[in-house]
Amino acid sequence: MISLLEVSGVSKTFDGFRAINNLSIQINEPELRAIIGPNGAGKTTFMDIVTGKTQPDSGQVLWGERNESLTGLSEAEIANRGIGRKFQKPTVFENQTVRQNLAMALKNPRGPLAALFFKEPRTDAVRINEIAGEIGLADQLPRPAGELSHGQKQWLEIGMLLAQDPRLLLVDEPAAGMTAEEREKTTDILKRAARTRSVVVVEHDMEFVRRLNCKVTVLHEGHVLAEGSLDHVTADPTVIDVYLGRSDA
Amino acid sequence: MTQGFIIHNRSMMRFIGLLGLFTLLVTLGSEAMGTGVISTSLVKTLGKTLCLCLIAIAMDVVWGYCGILSLGHFAFFGIGGYAIGMWLMYARTETIVTESLARQVIPPTPAEVTDAIGAQIFGVVGSSDFPVIWSFADSLILQLLMVVLVPGLLALVFGWLAFRSRVTGVYLSILTQAMTLALSLYLFQNDSGLRGNNGLSGLQNIPGFESTPQATISLVFFWGSALALGLGYMLFAFVVGGKMGSIVQGIRDNEARVRFLGYRVEGYKLFVFTLTAVVSGIAGALYYPQAGIINPAEIAPIASIYLAVWVAIGGRGRLYGAVIGAALVSLLSSWFTGGGAPDVNLGFYTVQWTDWWLVLLGVSFVCVTLFAPKGIGGLFDYLIRKPR
Amino acid sequence: MLRTLACLLIICAVAKGAAAQTLQPILQTHAAEVADPSRGSVSVVLDDLVASGLPQVPTFLERWSDKGVWQNTADGQFYYGRTDGDDLALTDIDTGTQTTVDRAGYTELRPNGGVRRVIGTALVQFQLSDPDLGRRQSAIDSIARRPDADQLAPLLASIDGEPDSLLRARKIQLANFLSASFAGDPADRIAAIDSLSRDTSIEARAVLNQILTTRDVVATDAPDGNIARILTVGTDITADQAYDRLVAADLAPAAIPSAAVRDALAANITDGRVGGIPTAQLNTEATRAQAYAALADRGLVPPRLTEEGRAAAIAAHVFAEVYTEDDPAITDAARAALSSVETRVAAASFADLTLDAMSLASIYFLAAIGLAITFGVMGVINMAHGEFIMMGAYTGYVVQQFVPDYTVSLILALPLAFAVTFAAGVAMERLVIRHLYHRPLETLLATFGISIALQQLAKNIFGTQARPLTSPSWLDGAWVMSDVIQISYIRIAIFVLALLFLGLILYILKRTRLGLEVRAVTQNPGMAASMGIDPDRINMLTFGLGSGIAGIAGVAIGLYAQVTSEMGANYIVQSFMTVVVGGVGNVWGTLAGASLIGSLQKGIEFLNPSNTLAAQTYMVLFIILFIQFRPKGIVAQKGRAAAD
Repeated sequence: MISLLEVSGVSKTFDGFRAINNLSIQINEPELRAIIGPNGAGKTTFMDIVTGKTQPDSGQVLWGERNESLTGLSEAEIANRGIGRKFQKPTVFENQTVRQNLAMALKNPRGPLAALFFKEPRTDAVRINEIAGEIGLADQLPRPAGELSHGQKQWLEIGMLLAQDPRLLLVDEPAAGMTAEEREKTTDILKRAARTRSVVVVEHDMEFVRRLNCKVTVLHEGHVLAEGSLDHVTADPTVIDVYLGRSDA
Repeated sequence: MTQGFIIHNRSMMRFIGLLGLFTLLVTLGSEAMGTGVISTSLVKTLGKTLCLCLIAIAMDVVWGYCGILSLGHFAFFGIGGYAIGMWLMYARTETIVTESLARQVIPPTPAEVTDAIGAQIFGVVGSSDFPVIWSFADSLILQLLMVVLVPGLLALVFGWLAFRSRVTGVYLSILTQAMTLALSLYLFQNDSGLRGNNGLSGLQNIPGFESTPQATISLVFFWGSALALGLGYMLFAFVVGGKMGSIVQGIRDNEARVRFLGYRVEGYKLFVFTLTAVVSGIAGALYYPQAGIINPAEIAPIASIYLAVWVAIGGRGRLYGAVIGAALVSLLSSWFTGGGAPDVNLGFYTVQWTDWWLVLLGVSFVCVTLFAPKGIGGLFDYLIRKPR
Repeated sequence: MLRTLACLLIICAVAKGAAAQTLQPILQTHAAEVADPSRGSVSVVLDDLVASGLPQVPTFLERWSDKGVWQNTADGQFYYGRTDGDDLALTDIDTGTQTTVDRAGYTELRPNGGVRRVIGTALVQFQLSDPDLGRRQSAIDSIARRPDADQLAPLLASIDGEPDSLLRARKIQLANFLSASFAGDPADRIAAIDSLSRDTSIEARAVLNQILTTRDVVATDAPDGNIARILTVGTDITADQAYDRLVAADLAPAAIPSAAVRDALAANITDGRVGGIPTAQLNTEATRAQAYAALADRGLVPPRLTEEGRAAAIAAHVFAEVYTEDDPAITDAARAALSSVETRVAAASFADLTLDAMSLASIYFLAAIGLAITFGVMGVINMAHGEFIMMGAYTGYVVQQFVPDYTVSLILALPLAFAVTFAAGVAMERLVIRHLYHRPLETLLATFGISIALQQLAKNIFGTQARPLTSPSWLDGAWVMSDVIQISYIRIAIFVLALLFLGLILYILKRTRLGLEVRAVTQNPGMAASMGIDPDRINMLTFGLGSGIAGIAGVAIGLYAQVTSEMGANYIVQSFMTVVVGGVGNVWGTLAGASLIGSLQKGIEFLNPSNTLAAQTYMVLFIILFIQFRPKGIVAQKGRAAAD
């Protein structure tokens, strides 16, 4: 196991509100990690900073074996270094078919001219079928993504991330709005993905996190409150205080 | 373009077929062919309409497919017209001046010829010197290059500035409108070097073809416009058909998602913006020799908004929709405003369409936006199942 | 007319009372000169008249100058006369006795223009001390229009007796102008010039510029006189201009232009050749020059000066500007005074420009604030906003058709315009915009459809020609602080109106329940809805409010610009710019945007006054660049919500 992503001492303030406060997190490769925390703990801002949507006020975000700094890079550049991100709300291209959605995400040259004269190699079709099977949408490939159910859209988005073939997957609340059955399937997809790469799951739902059965980081007010197995962190008195001692738990 | 693309794009084949048939019919009916069913002025109107259809599909690609509501593409159209107009005006004036100077006993020096042309062209704005931008006006090849280069470069620079700072949506529309306004205001000045609000005129006279009747010239331009529209349609069908189209539509629907998939959204937008600007310039270069005159009022922001109206009425996100919208609205508009439509006597009030056409257009436009967001092209979707 | 009569009566009465001596004998001693005066001879008469000190003199001079004096052809007596058909009403010059006679026996005295001017100058000294303030005023005005060395002495003499303090100050100022130009003693002139250095009036600058008038001089050596500057050929004047001056001063032969060369060649064609060169080859400057030189050698045409000859001629002469005023001390003082004046004028112009910019900014603020509010709350750009401005202006026009009193109609028009456009805005929101939420670009286009329909509708109803919206008379004119700084009352009124609305909008947004809800919807519509705020109602009301303010702006704009169906379109782009530059959904942002755009436009217009079109072009370019650095405007919306 090597360290893939190292966030150290990062802070970010929005108009006086400290969303992230001297946050340090280290993700290894491969690894499955869950990040939990109450509302406003800075989970989404953490993802924004890693993926380049938000620039941190201070601190470092280092990536890969060569410890390259990610701050200052654009979203696309960061994505192409191997970081995939799933949004809280399912964001797929509803007017396009499932196949088109996946094809767009596949790892291929990203420039406009390359896209203009792109001819799909045979291997791409194979890969698309593979991923569709993985996320359970093999028979939905010709359907427009807008016609899929909520859960299926979530899986399609995860499938798009897998098609990117990233080294690190950031997944924001994948189980929100899913039925129990769908959650179970989502857990399986994520666990399988985490065998070969790093997967970071931000989640509210403790049951879901328990099923992931992985190392857990608890965020609170923009910094790490506790880290370890789920049982370990839930036994931590400060965590109990944050989650149970306050009304918004 | 691969063979597979052409064969698999049936709606495009259908369009090309229809366009070819239309061109044939107009040719057979034209005065140049001796039948005279279609008057020369109607051939010109139809030729101009084809050019408007061409810029409409460009607008459809940039707005309907890529989601950039540009209120500046008519400016590129106008620039194309000015670029070709400069050569037309220069070459024609040169012919006239050389003829009149040849009658003198002493043959003219090159400087005298240039001065006389300058006085002829710029007399209306009280000048006789050639501005720098006319440096290449004597060369058809270079001015044709300008038709492509000037709109292309302007779009490239403007687009780079706008997309780089991530101006999107309504803001971007306003910004493109501002660009158009700046350009038209600049051209309105007498010292812009392009004859201020007089614009360029006499463009229907093609140098070297003085003895050819207008009937023939207008038919040739009609063919040229039809050819350009056909090629433009194929080009854009190719652009929006493949992976490029998929990405571009993705940008329209969810820019952030495309970004996080690792695509440099700015590059794609810039590509589409610039390509459509260049096609708009070419459309303008074909339009204005048929119109005969170009002036800054043609470039005013309102023209670009009308362009958006055509595309919206015809139906965004489908190329044939843009063609339908542009052809229908521009032809109807000239029919109504040209006094072609009969007045309606309501007993207490007579509706004169020259006065009421814009009210009708405005209201029907609101209705289309409200009740038929897919435009007329949307109706086709019910009739024809688009093959996948 | 009545006043003039009354004046005359008073003067006559005064004359009667003090008629210790009579005027007629003096006139009779110069009868010939009075009857047929010339510019040279009249001064003798005038000197005597002035020396007599008689109170009748001014009246006589006036009537004389106005061709109101008649002479009896038989006895040579002079009378004031007024024709009445064939009759002539005569008034005795000294006694004022009136008689009516047949005009046949009398001739009218008709002094020519030159004489009348001389009489006028003599009259000035009387008028300057005239008991009537109006007459003194007009005397001063006539001196100011036509300053003359002769007027200095009477003007100075009249200052001490001047009872009116304003007029006295004016007299002193005018005396200063005259002394600066005409005082006999150079020290007096310099003192007067120095005192002008604090006067920014156009008159003072004209006086100084007059003193500093130069004439162009060409000479072989350094010229005599009070030299303003020696011109360097190439930097101060072009070689062409220099040569033209040489030609004008007969110091060099006139240049032969190429057109003349061509004509000369054409006139000397023999056997298809000119100077041995075939005509067909004469299509370059070089062959033409050769042919012309050949003709010149044969003496058929005047020789043409070569470039070298021209350069030598220019080099052999000195080009200079020489002051018409010979005394360097005076020109130095005038230069110093002028530069000091110009500094003051520049400062004053800047103040004036600031005022202009502020008034323009307040117009843009009024035009844009409605747009900014609706954009902020609903994310909707209303392209028909300009037409709401127009609608407000036409409402004002219609009100004036029914209420003739402009003050009352204005007071009625403001709330009525608000009501009309408020209703139109609400209707538009209910019928169209409500159905297009979350599709901002389509709203843009739908409102554009409404915009063209409304514009054409206005054209159909009110016609294409401009309709006046007349302001009440108390808004006419301008507040003049100096020759440089002035601002019209209408613009002040609009400024006040803008301030009023700024206050009102701030009050509504910060202090009322509606404002709270509006701010809530602006910042987080979803959260606001879940807190029980009805977004439908808020949207409707904000749209109505925004449109209503546009109506008010329309009345304000209509007061100083004309009301046409296209007037809205002229303001809409500037309003968009204001919103974009200022930042969305913030009153202070809109204010900042309006101020920036207003001052920018005025600033560019000031730098390039001849070309307002260019000013607008540069402004738009500036704004495009501005967006590069502050894409969210001057006052950016805050919080994480703004990032989405």
